[in-house]
Amino acid sequence: MRERLELLSVGIPFKVKLGIVWGVIALILVFLFSLADFDVEWMVDHLWFITQGLPWTIIICGLAIILAVTLALFGALGRLSNSAVAQGVSSFYTSFFRGTPLIVQMFLIFLALPQLAPPDLPGLRDSLTLTALQAGIIALGLNYGAYMTEIFRAGIQSVGHGQVEAAEALGMTYRQRMRRIVLPQAIRVIIPPTGNEFIAMLKDSALISLLGSVVAQMEIFRRAQLVGRADFRPLEAFVVAAALYWILTTVFQFFQTRLERRLSKGYVRTTIRVTTQPGIEMVESEPA
Amino acid sequence: MKRRIIWLIAVMALLAAACGDDGGGGTATTEGTATTEGTEGTEGDLLSAIEEEGVLTVSTDPAYPPQSSLNEETNEYEGFDIDVATAIAEGIGVEVAWEAPAWETIIAGNWNGRWDLSVGSMTITPEREEVLHFSTPYYYTPAVVVVGADDDSISDVTTDLDGQTIGVCGGCTYDSFLQGNLEIPGETFEFVIDDAEIITTDTDTTAIEQLVQGRVAAVMTSATVAQGAIDAGLPVKVVGDPLFYEPLAAAIDASASEDTESFVARVSEIIEGMHEDGSLSELSNQWFGLDLTTKTS
Repeated sequence: MRERLELLSVGIPFKVKLGIVWGVIALILVFLFSLADFDVEWMVDHLWFITQGLPWTIIICGLAIILAVTLALFGALGRLSNSAVAQGVSSFYTSFFRGTPLIVQMFLIFLALPQLAPPDLPGLRDSLTLTALQAGIIALGLNYGAYMTEIFRAGIQSVGHGQVEAAEALGMTYRQRMRRIVLPQAIRVIIPPTGNEFIAMLKDSALISLLGSVVAQMEIFRRAQLVGRADFRPLEAFVVAAALYWILTTVFQFFQTRLERRLSKGYVRTTIRVTTQPGIEMVESEPA
Repeated sequence: MKRRIIWLIAVMALLAAACGDDGGGGTATTEGTATTEGTEGTEGDLLSAIEEEGVLTVSTDPAYPPQSSLNEETNEYEGFDIDVATAIAEGIGVEVAWEAPAWETIIAGNWNGRWDLSVGSMTITPEREEVLHFSTPYYYTPAVVVVGADDDSISDVTTDLDGQTIGVCGGCTYDSFLQGNLEIPGETFEFVIDDAEIITTDTDTTAIEQLVQGRVAAVMTSATVAQGAIDAGLPVKVVGDPLFYEPLAAAIDASASEDTESFVARVSEIIEGMHEDGSLSELSNQWFGLDLTTKTS
């Protein structure tokens, strides 16, 4: 029986088979969804309101990833440096921000930071009193920067030592070496995992809602939280939010795949189809 | 090198711009100047700082209809607490602005000047009095037991709930009541529910949804929230008499850097004025369908 099925399916292209598998999974999901007895009408009515949080989610993550990349770069350089100060500071940074939960970090920056200012310096205390959005972005940046430090370190180390020696032999300073030789090549290794981090961050941005954002700056989860509570339907609201996050990450995943392909062009040999006789195809492809 | 520096500056400017233009929440304009006569602020204290700034920043937790929730069409908060806070701002002669932090940060005090006043249906308890100053109570709510609409097994709340799973919002007075350690100044309680299995949630609406799903046998919450759930069409009902009444007041941070005495007095005066001229009763009828502003026992 199995052999017959295999024979039958040989003619069907792989992509079509994949589509069928996804179709079946989708049907199962729809079936489970209908079992759960959600108030679908409510979900449709409030979909637009929750979707309006999308730009804010992207802004929050965009700013946070810029901060994270900057911190990761300095963190990685610090980890690889000969200076005890640089190594000590960067290893403490990565240890703390990878070792404590993101939500705790957000609350610390939001609530505890102002307490650090002495009472007779109200100006300092005011500037340390951040809004929910600011505290959230900074916490996200710090947290993800710590994880990305390892990514950057691996990327920098992936550049062959021969390159560094050659640069030294040419008389380049450390900065010239980094800026012109090492980092441009390291970028190719760094971008794919960084893209993954960004996609993960899209969902962690939901935690900002626990700090209590203002009406003008509500991202997806906050909107779902508030509108769900207003109508006593928190679960339906969160399902809508989950669907939105799923779509968002899928879109970014698509762009990331394209970016990876583009960046790898110089390094991966393209597939060669060599036809020796009609009907016989030999296919060669080799990664670098 | 130059290009990179310019790029870096551009990114910093973008960051600064984003951080700069998120000020406080939307401000609601007050109609007319219905300033009431009352306590004056002196130089350097919180009341005069608010009057000078022209804005009263009020905290609210918009998870709590009909006291406070977000109206998605107008993108404004609405509710009984919202209207009371707006009236207090009018009484002082300033506009009102909103902050919406988590409930735990409001009751913990140490607001760091993020907002000046909390009008959030907060019950006066001795532990909260350590970190907050309370105004005169502006209304009183009965604490009731809510069960599923089809549930007939619970009718006598003094006996039928013993040992059952009961959902409450964490850190609320109902939580303390079930634990047997609720204290409200001037009130005594009979802790009639023994050995309940307490399931805490982040807020009352979540507890009620758990009730609808059958994860808890009953929920203890304010009668106003219960009525809101029933009005929203959820299959729940109130059972039995109220277990206790709680006085709810506005709160001010005791650890504020400015002197708060005159501000507390002013807020209390305005609330008392609203009790006397009937505007509080009117708001109560509007949002709850009944007048909860007088103390009943």
